[in-house]
Amino acid sequence: MLDAIARNRVATLVCVTVLVLLAVGLAAPGFLTGNTAAIIWSNGLVLMLVALGILPVILTRNIDVSGGSILGLSAVVLGLTVNAGTPLWGAVALALAAGTAAGALNGALVAGLGVPAIVATLGTLGLYRGIMLIATGGEWIEGLPDGLKALGAKGAIGIAPLGWVVGALALALALALRTRRGLWPNAVGDNREAARHLGLPVRRIVFGSFTFAGFMAALAGVTFAAQIGFVPNQAGTGIELRAIAALVLGGVSLLGGVGTAGGVVVAVIFFTAIDTALVFLKIPAYWNDLIGGAMLLLVLLIDGRLRIALERRDRAARYRRATQLPDRTPLEDAA
Amino acid sequence: MIRHVMRWEAVLVAILVAELLIFGAINPRFLNSASLLFGTSDFVHIGMVAVPLTLVIIAGGIDVSFASTVGLTAILFGIANFMGAPLAVSILAALGAGALAGGFNAAMIRVTRLQPLVITLGALYLFSGAATVLSGAVGASGYEGIGGFPAGFTAMGYARILGLPTGLALFLAIAVALWLLLHLTRFGRLVFQTGQNEAAARHSGLPVGRVQATTYVLTGLCAALAGLMLSAYFGSARVDLGTATLLPAITAAVLGGASIYGGQGSVLGTVIAVFIIGYLQQGLQMSGVPSQISGALSGALLVVVVALRHGAALLRDLIPAASSSR
Repeated sequence: MLDAIARNRVATLVCVTVLVLLAVGLAAPGFLTGNTAAIIWSNGLVLMLVALGILPVILTRNIDVSGGSILGLSAVVLGLTVNAGTPLWGAVALALAAGTAAGALNGALVAGLGVPAIVATLGTLGLYRGIMLIATGGEWIEGLPDGLKALGAKGAIGIAPLGWVVGALALALALALRTRRGLWPNAVGDNREAARHLGLPVRRIVFGSFTFAGFMAALAGVTFAAQIGFVPNQAGTGIELRAIAALVLGGVSLLGGVGTAGGVVVAVIFFTAIDTALVFLKIPAYWNDLIGGAMLLLVLLIDGRLRIALERRDRAARYRRATQLPDRTPLEDAA
Repeated sequence: MIRHVMRWEAVLVAILVAELLIFGAINPRFLNSASLLFGTSDFVHIGMVAVPLTLVIIAGGIDVSFASTVGLTAILFGIANFMGAPLAVSILAALGAGALAGGFNAAMIRVTRLQPLVITLGALYLFSGAATVLSGAVGASGYEGIGGFPAGFTAMGYARILGLPTGLALFLAIAVALWLLLHLTRFGRLVFQTGQNEAAARHSGLPVGRVQATTYVLTGLCAALAGLMLSAYFGSARVDLGTATLLPAITAAVLGGASIYGGQGSVLGTVIAVFIIGYLQQGLQMSGVPSQISGALSGALLVVVVALRHGAALLRDLIPAASSSR
């Protein structure tokens, strides 16, 4: 039982999420509908994209806190170019390119110059936000075309076109991370030196994961603009921390090498479900941070203690085995 | 090692002087001693949390929750005051809450043995959520804040100590106290030793847990001081008082030479970096640059300075002859 909970974080999280949703459903009848599910999915899209983008970065034992600013920057690129008369597909492509370039700069700083990732991305967090504000002159971008808003509006089975795109991307990422090359970021994060000695292009892998994070943050920016219909100055502020919180909740280790896309998806849904449930239970929105923070810390506390208990039990079992079989040398086991 | 750190602080001083001269050339009013002195009130609260944060980072940890602790303690002070507690009791309540917040972080990190970034990130939400709920509980809805402080308290925000504005005096006092603590005491050596190699420190029987806990408690305490100072300065306690200190404070610690991997850093460097960041924003504003751009420039400054430092280290590795000749 202990084993299953501690070793299969994703399944546990799914159970907890389902339990929470059922509890809310009992308290507020009418909550458990397909409509609510669609709302939760669409509310979580932006966070999902940013979190999935950061996943490979964290797998390589780095961190990216500039996601919120890249989101804002690419949303502004999209808004400015589309309002200047660029066709929608061109504007979206430009926004994605801007975000990818921003991610590549992060990657170059970290992989090329060897700046610690948190320092580099803290700096670019301020830098990109500033560039965004310079580009807009501090004004909000309004009057985005209906074609863009349609991307975020309800489509087939109540899910927006962008919702389908994100679902497909999450699935693709989950599959890609299981392939031979998809395991490279894990290898780098687990043991960088060993990965290098195995002949993996460590720097290129790190660079690639930052670039990917930039691309996903840019897509989040596009989604944000499509869903909200305008681009405020503070678009995306603070989402990087929420994304990292979701990653941790989803069983991704900040020490690198451990984590799955599935866990991230479930964790983001969990966070969004709590927010949506609070709205449904008519609890004032200012409880969100307290409940979210307490939930996160509680999960971490349980997880941390379980892991320690498990380690202890494993060690005790090893000693027991070693003492029960005296003909085997106990040294190799005990070590 | 010490020579290296000293050299880095010299670089920081050079940057600061260059910055002041450039802004002075753009706008002569900037180099007026009164505006330099009283302008510090806009950024000393960053320094108040950046200095203890430096200790946390040196000891191998990180704390991002102080940004919420500032608001939480300010709100607690406001509520205590609102309930009619005497001023001294309200202040003590805020300071106690700050220390407790730091202790909570340390205890959680110790109990779960997870990375400090994760725990303090959760605490960042928890504390700001608690502050929002508390301020809602006394009817100060949203971000208006809790006001109505005694005149003696708000006067403190504008008083002078030894000719210095209160905030600056408080900041320098914190800096001197922590500098003494870090660089001249046994505890300070323990902080460095813990950050250099936690496992080695633990195996040598050093009180690693207690050392790290102390650094977190100090950060909480100083965040409470910053919250009180900001409440006095603005005349009201708000939930979001400290939100804007998060990134500049970490930036100051890192710019000041603290290694994010622990074991390296200096109080003096952080103090100089705080002035660099603070005067950069102020100088840009006085030169007519909108505050948004100053944010970009301080971000760029961090990237460039740290990249230069790492670039220089890379070059040194590439040219072993140069490094051995020094």
